[in-house]
Amino acid sequence: MQRDALNAPTSRSLLDVQQLGKRYGDVPVFANVDLHLAEGEFVAILGESGVGKSTLLNCIAGLDTVDAGRVQMAGTTITDLPEAGQALFRRAHLGFVFQAFHVLPHLSVAHNVALPLLLLGRPDPARVQQVIDAVGLNGLEARLPQTLSGGQMQRVAIARAIVHRPQLILADEPTGNLDPTTAARVLDVLVAQVREQGAACVLVTHSRAAAARADRVLTLTATGMFEGEGATQ
Amino acid sequence: MIALLRELSWPELRHHPWRSAAALLAVMLGVALAFSVQLINQSALSEFSSAVRSVNGDPDFELRAQRGGFDEALYERVAAQPQIALASPVVDVETQALNAQGQRVPLRVLGLDALVAAPLSPALLPQLRKDADRFALFDPQAVFLNSAARQKLGEPADGALLRVQTPLGFTELRVQGSVAAGGAPLAVMDIAGAQAAFGWLGRLSRIDVRLQPGADRDAVVKSLALPEGVRAALPDEAAQRVSNLSRAYRVNLTVLALVAMFTGAFLVFSILSLSVAKRQPQLALLGVLGMTARQRLKLVLLESALLGFVGSVLGLALGTALAALALRLLAGDLGGGYFPGVTPTLQFSAAAAAVYGSLGVVAAVVGGWVPARAAQRLAPAQALKGLGDTAPAHPALMRWLGPLMLVVSVLLALLPPVFDLPLAAYVSVALLLLGGIACVPAGVGLLLGWLRPPSNPLALLAVERARHQRHTATIAVAGVVAALSLSVALTVMVASFRESVTQWLDTVLPADLYARAASSTSAGDVVSLPPALVGDAAGISGVLRVEAQRVVQVSIDPRRAAVFVVARPLPDPAKALPLVGDLVPLPAGETAAYVSEAMVSLYGAAPGSRFELPLPDGRTIRVFVRGVWRDYARQFGAVALAAADYQRVSGDVRINDLALWLQPGANLPGVQQALRERASARGFDGALLEFASVAEIRSTSLRIFDRSFAVTYWLQAVAIAIGLFGIAASFSAQVLARRKEFGLLAHLGLTRTQVLTVVAVEGAVWTATGALLGLALGLAVSVVLVHVVNPQSFNWTMDLLLPWGRLALLCGAVMAAGTVTAWLSARSAAGRQMALAVKEDW
Repeated sequence: MQRDALNAPTSRSLLDVQQLGKRYGDVPVFANVDLHLAEGEFVAILGESGVGKSTLLNCIAGLDTVDAGRVQMAGTTITDLPEAGQALFRRAHLGFVFQAFHVLPHLSVAHNVALPLLLLGRPDPARVQQVIDAVGLNGLEARLPQTLSGGQMQRVAIARAIVHRPQLILADEPTGNLDPTTAARVLDVLVAQVREQGAACVLVTHSRAAAARADRVLTLTATGMFEGEGATQ
Repeated sequence: MIALLRELSWPELRHHPWRSAAALLAVMLGVALAFSVQLINQSALSEFSSAVRSVNGDPDFELRAQRGGFDEALYERVAAQPQIALASPVVDVETQALNAQGQRVPLRVLGLDALVAAPLSPALLPQLRKDADRFALFDPQAVFLNSAARQKLGEPADGALLRVQTPLGFTELRVQGSVAAGGAPLAVMDIAGAQAAFGWLGRLSRIDVRLQPGADRDAVVKSLALPEGVRAALPDEAAQRVSNLSRAYRVNLTVLALVAMFTGAFLVFSILSLSVAKRQPQLALLGVLGMTARQRLKLVLLESALLGFVGSVLGLALGTALAALALRLLAGDLGGGYFPGVTPTLQFSAAAAAVYGSLGVVAAVVGGWVPARAAQRLAPAQALKGLGDTAPAHPALMRWLGPLMLVVSVLLALLPPVFDLPLAAYVSVALLLLGGIACVPAGVGLLLGWLRPPSNPLALLAVERARHQRHTATIAVAGVVAALSLSVALTVMVASFRESVTQWLDTVLPADLYARAASSTSAGDVVSLPPALVGDAAGISGVLRVEAQRVVQVSIDPRRAAVFVVARPLPDPAKALPLVGDLVPLPAGETAAYVSEAMVSLYGAAPGSRFELPLPDGRTIRVFVRGVWRDYARQFGAVALAAADYQRVSGDVRINDLALWLQPGANLPGVQQALRERASARGFDGALLEFASVAEIRSTSLRIFDRSFAVTYWLQAVAIAIGLFGIAASFSAQVLARRKEFGLLAHLGLTRTQVLTVVAVEGAVWTATGALLGLALGLAVSVVLVHVVNPQSFNWTMDLLLPWGRLALLCGAVMAAGTVTAWLSARSAAGRQMALAVKEDW
């Protein structure tokens, strides 16, 4: 477990996941998952394929229903919110980074990055430019995603995830589609920006190298969440 | 390729049977409609020609004159000509007979010499009833009926007496047997009896001639030194004339049916576009695995050809059934009135089936071309990354193709008719539609080029998507444009025509009450009212004024239908006739004629010109054209003369119709009864007078009009339905392609309602754009229909009327339906699972 001395997490709790359970019909995905995250904390979650890591992120974000337990963040019980409430909560408090980038193909780099601010009704071109510069995409603002490399697209996604200063960033295999060198650079950017913004981050990954950049490493299994790498029931 | 069809296309078909069934249905309906119209026309024409042949027989030529006939002295000369083997004199009279219920039935009576007619016209040879005397054949009171006459007259028993109208009233003829001739109700009798009964003593209608073997027809005709007004006509002239008369009507019906096929092609296009969009990941993966772009093109084209083939086969079967049903229920002219008295049997044509079946396949392949090109252009790597569709390969070509087609369309609309048909105008309409649709992407691009990126995120998403991937949305817009432009054009055309007919009725029906002697105009030669009845009618209490009218038919060009000569008082022609343009001053000593528009287009009788107008007795008079009037009742020409002029030049003082102006509050039944009594007192059976008030004629005319155009309303409904289906398919395709986008938007905090709103607003904006373009294009098409296609097809003009209320309703309904359709399409993709789409790793 590593910790950045300059950005040590505070003791104030941000995310509290209690006894979360999820199943698809008769097929259980995971059960009894507990996860507690302090403000500014960077946690990596490892786990075998199919164990439900991405599903866990969706459940935390209110994008998927849960069968047991609850998710509480910054005093709000996300699992109790109606669909529209969950959407508004995500809009204000969460940022996402995906394995497959998911930038909108018909929006320019600048518009892709600006989208969360526009959705919040707080257009801020200076802030957009600031994060574009911060992720090293200066000069590419008007470009469409088709003309970017994979690494550049993921930087756009990171910029979009942090532009509105969310409290929590959920990153789902953000380096899974990148070569090791590019992956390392993108991870540098992600970690730096998360630390700089003071946001907490949950990083789901198969990469032990990526996990090593987090404050804590957890392992998800079908029966719950455990501290440390490669932990089993 | 077969393996690909089995492995890729068949599962898709099985997975979405209703979608494929809709495409099949569209092709099937298009082919069925077009093929049934062809079969009906072909069967009717063939049956009519066969009926004409059976009545006219098989002479080498006929000697004919105007309806009044010619001196029978010619017969002696013809029969004595050594090069002529047989000469059969005929008296041909259109009259009416009474059925068992006392109702009038139009009846054609042929007076023949049975001994010479038999070899020339075997179908007219009288078959004597069982117990009739052999000499009944020559009995001047004996009549022989064909099956149509027997049926219409209520199956009179052999030996029964039949009341037939003659110029002197009704005469009684005895039914002595039958004739085999088909077609309209027909009675055959001895020529001498016919001449005596119908006032044709010393005159003949025609002489059928058969030449000696090897005789030269032209030389024989020349040797006969035919008197003025008599000419040698070919026996198939009548059949050819009917074919010409109904040709524009038949071609218009066929074009309407082909429009249905065009909309079917559009549905195939929409459905295959959706199918290709849905299979984009599979096609992209196959591309990565080694399937060439050309193979992808071929696969989609093969799918469309298969759809077209199956749809066409089903369409041919349905078309045959529809044609059989229509022939049984509506006779051969679908209500057009071009084949009177004919009840044709279905005549299937393998050649026509092959042509229309192929057209169905071609329409489907044309519909499948754009999606096939989309599959071909697919960039597998980009598609696998979910980075959207590629732009069309030849945007520059498309940019110029549309405007070019529009320019050519305008030029074609200015061309005259070809073979009396508006062929260039039809191509002009097609190019206008296709060119307009081809202009959609460039037009939308131009519009979006001026638009700055909005700050509202939902609007930004919609506008930027439109800007960068407009070719996907233009499919939906093109659907709206195609459907709406057709509907707008038909709405404007029908509304313009209806309004023009209404105004025309106001002018041609100025009186309050109309009375006529015969129910059919052709019987007017035999049946007429006593001229003195005009004065009698004016004396009836409640009658303010009376006008009489004489209508006769003359032939100016044997290849064309007869022209009507209408003789009536014309003290102020500008008020009495629905004139088009101004009157030309009449030169001194000339006879003024006022011609219908058809006379100008068919015979070149322009205002200020002179032409030879035949009279029923075969003479001609030179008339001066003072003006042109609009006539929606007589498509092939009418000439109005002042009654005094007509009587002076023809000596014909008979009248057919009376127009009565009544005092306010006049007792209508009382006036009718008084007129019947006055007619009976003058020797005309007053019970046979037919009355119609102006309101009745008006409502009947407009009812017939609406019935005739009912098919266009159905076509509009089908066009709109297909357009909406296209919108639904197009938006479904877009929504499918955008599932990941929606998933991402859900992650970014857009609610499901907001995602639906984005799609619905996009749908509304695109549909509104399509509606505006469709409205503009439809108005342009309607101008061509009203000002070119109609005059060139039917020889009459009309005023362009824009029913703005109805057009706004049409556009509003399409926009609302388009928005709802887009919203519904998005609903399925924007469910709770929407967020999971970002995990799809295609």
